[in-house]
Amino acid sequence: MKIKEDFSVFQMENEYYLIPTGGMSFKGVIKGNRTMGYILDALKEDTTQEKIVAKLKELFDVSGHEEDVEQDVKQAIEKLRMVGALEED
Amino acid sequence: MMNVYCFAGVPVRIQSMYDAVNKHCEEYRFNGIPSFDIYTEETDIDFERKKAQEIYGLEQGSAIWTAEELEIIAVYRKFAEKMPEYDGFVFHGSAIAVDGKAYIFTAKSGVGKSTHTRLWREMLGTQAEMINDDKPVIRFEEDVPMVHGTPWAGKESLSKKIAKPLRAICIIERANQNRICEISKRSALPFLFQQAYRPYSRTGLEKTMKLIDQLDVRFYHLWCNMERNAAELSYRIMSEIKEDNHED
Repeated sequence: MKIKEDFSVFQMENEYYLIPTGGMSFKGVIKGNRTMGYILDALKEDTTQEKIVAKLKELFDVSGHEEDVEQDVKQAIEKLRMVGALEED
Repeated sequence: MMNVYCFAGVPVRIQSMYDAVNKHCEEYRFNGIPSFDIYTEETDIDFERKKAQEIYGLEQGSAIWTAEELEIIAVYRKFAEKMPEYDGFVFHGSAIAVDGKAYIFTAKSGVGKSTHTRLWREMLGTQAEMINDDKPVIRFEEDVPMVHGTPWAGKESLSKKIAKPLRAICIIERANQNRICEISKRSALPFLFQQAYRPYSRTGLEKTMKLIDQLDVRFYHLWCNMERNAAELSYRIMSEIKEDNHED
């Protein structure tokens, strides 16, 4: 899965915004923190939920919080899926 | 029908099927060479009808707009799509000028942006003039964001063919108690992204985001009732340099 071309990312400091083009049925804006930023970055290429979790675990010291990371990624992906931002096989 | 108009300083040649477009944009007629062309076809009218149906429901969407009116909206959309190429974007808000500076009030539909600018006009008389009550253009000219009137101006067609430098954008929410505070652009961003015209093209969207990022003006959040003292508070604070929260 990856982010559709019709969605664009804007970053200001540690906040990330995902904004769809006018033709998308989702008319809102998704706002997220640094974790969302990394997830969106990973989703520029075709990837999987597991690979994203592995990457985050590699980038940050998550000892004792592995489940939180998995949960955060799962929720973020679910949100992106709900607004139609993901291109999936 | 084919005529040239100038919107937000950009000359456009419009070829429309109906004369209603010309009547709607008459004040903006221009004698000069266009920067780009807008053509409309039946498919554009069908597109706008479908959008109206999505917003208002099938029966109403078909009934409330005539083909002439839908064409006016189609022309607006094609114009709005092109604006980022000219360093501008359409912004959903009520824009008013006071002492040569533009203030834009923005909010979800029905909250009261037009009511608030009407209160400013009642309060300030000839000191204030409406730029556009619904869809002004913000366009950077030599790095200054200018607010332009356009012929697309909402229910009462309140608009003027003028341009004033933008001083502040204010987000309005309804409340019983009036309160205003200056906010950072960071706090305003979700609203700005929500209220700016969203191009169908990715390039247009990214340019719009870049232009919003460039905005170096004041931002305010106003919670207010629809009474005169709300306007007195907002005007007093927004027209002066203040940094703290203020309550009325």
